[in-house]
Amino acid sequence: MDKRFSGQLTVAFVCMILGLMLATQFKNVQKVGGNVSMQRTQELTGEVQRLKEENEKMKSQIQDYDQKIWEYENAAKGEGKLSQAIYDELDRMRMLAGVVDLEGPGVIVTVNTFLTNPQGQLISNVNYEDLLKLINELNAAGAEAIAINDERLIATTEIRNAGDYIVINTNRHSVPFEIKAIGNPDTLEAALKLLGGVADELSQVLDIKIKREDKIHIPKYEGTIEFNYAKPVEENK
Amino acid sequence: MWLPILGMLIGILLGMLLPIRVPIAYSSYMSIAVLAALDSVFGAIRAQLEGNFETDVFISGFFGNSFLAAGLAYLGDRLDVPIYLAAIFAFGNRMFNNFAVIRRYFLGYLRNRSYLEDDKNK
Repeated sequence: MDKRFSGQLTVAFVCMILGLMLATQFKNVQKVGGNVSMQRTQELTGEVQRLKEENEKMKSQIQDYDQKIWEYENAAKGEGKLSQAIYDELDRMRMLAGVVDLEGPGVIVTVNTFLTNPQGQLISNVNYEDLLKLINELNAAGAEAIAINDERLIATTEIRNAGDYIVINTNRHSVPFEIKAIGNPDTLEAALKLLGGVADELSQVLDIKIKREDKIHIPKYEGTIEFNYAKPVEENK
Repeated sequence: MWLPILGMLIGILLGMLLPIRVPIAYSSYMSIAVLAALDSVFGAIRAQLEGNFETDVFISGFFGNSFLAAGLAYLGDRLDVPIYLAAIFAFGNRMFNNFAVIRRYFLGYLRNRSYLEDDKNK
């Protein structure tokens, strides 16, 4: 009798486990519910998992490639004169394209508005043309690299008004503006401070400060440069 | 006789109340395991009625079949062979067979209890 009872008890326990399994499975199906079948859900979760892994892999691949580029460049630097020349050219092109941080002497121009209104209100705002004029002048004076509020100016950089902001490299900026330019500090400063020049003209309505610096750091362009339409023309073919 | 049913009710209640979750990715294996377990229980009921029920056989069958079925389904998924179909077919088939046997026993039991006296007299 006792043995029979213990047998029943174990069977009861096993049945309890069965009930547990049934209930959890039921809840699972219930939770997914709706029009989405279990299989579809599994497929999609699998897909998400797969894509995530793929993404991870691609990220590490990018790192690998970066590493490789760096290695090749290092190797090229060490081999022969021609490689050295190519490497130097590459470096120069990079500086020109604005994809590397640069450092050197130059001037920092800060452009701000002044609050002359007795109520303390802004009576003038910086216009994109003011910035363009300054940059134009700096370029004419031989600036090698320019950044406004750490937005590196490259060939495709736009400077335009968008409401109260000025959009530079698709990012919105507002006063104060800090224009950093690397070049001969004397020339740059002189070009701006010319009597009747840009700084003279703009300081009627804006607060402009020009400061010479021995070491200016200009960050690289953060966006991507893509060519969808333009193709190089091969000459002498 | 009532103890296993009570156990199952407790199990269902626990399953509903406790926050046990099986990840959706493993849900199909769970369903196969549930099917195998159900089959074992039907088999046990049949064995009980036939008088050759053994607890150890039942328990080993219950767990063994569940894990084997889930494991085979998993393996099938890895190999892209729908083995779970075989499991569903085998267990489902046996479940219906067992149920047929149980039904006959039950009807026989009812006849003996003379609920169906008319049939007996014929």
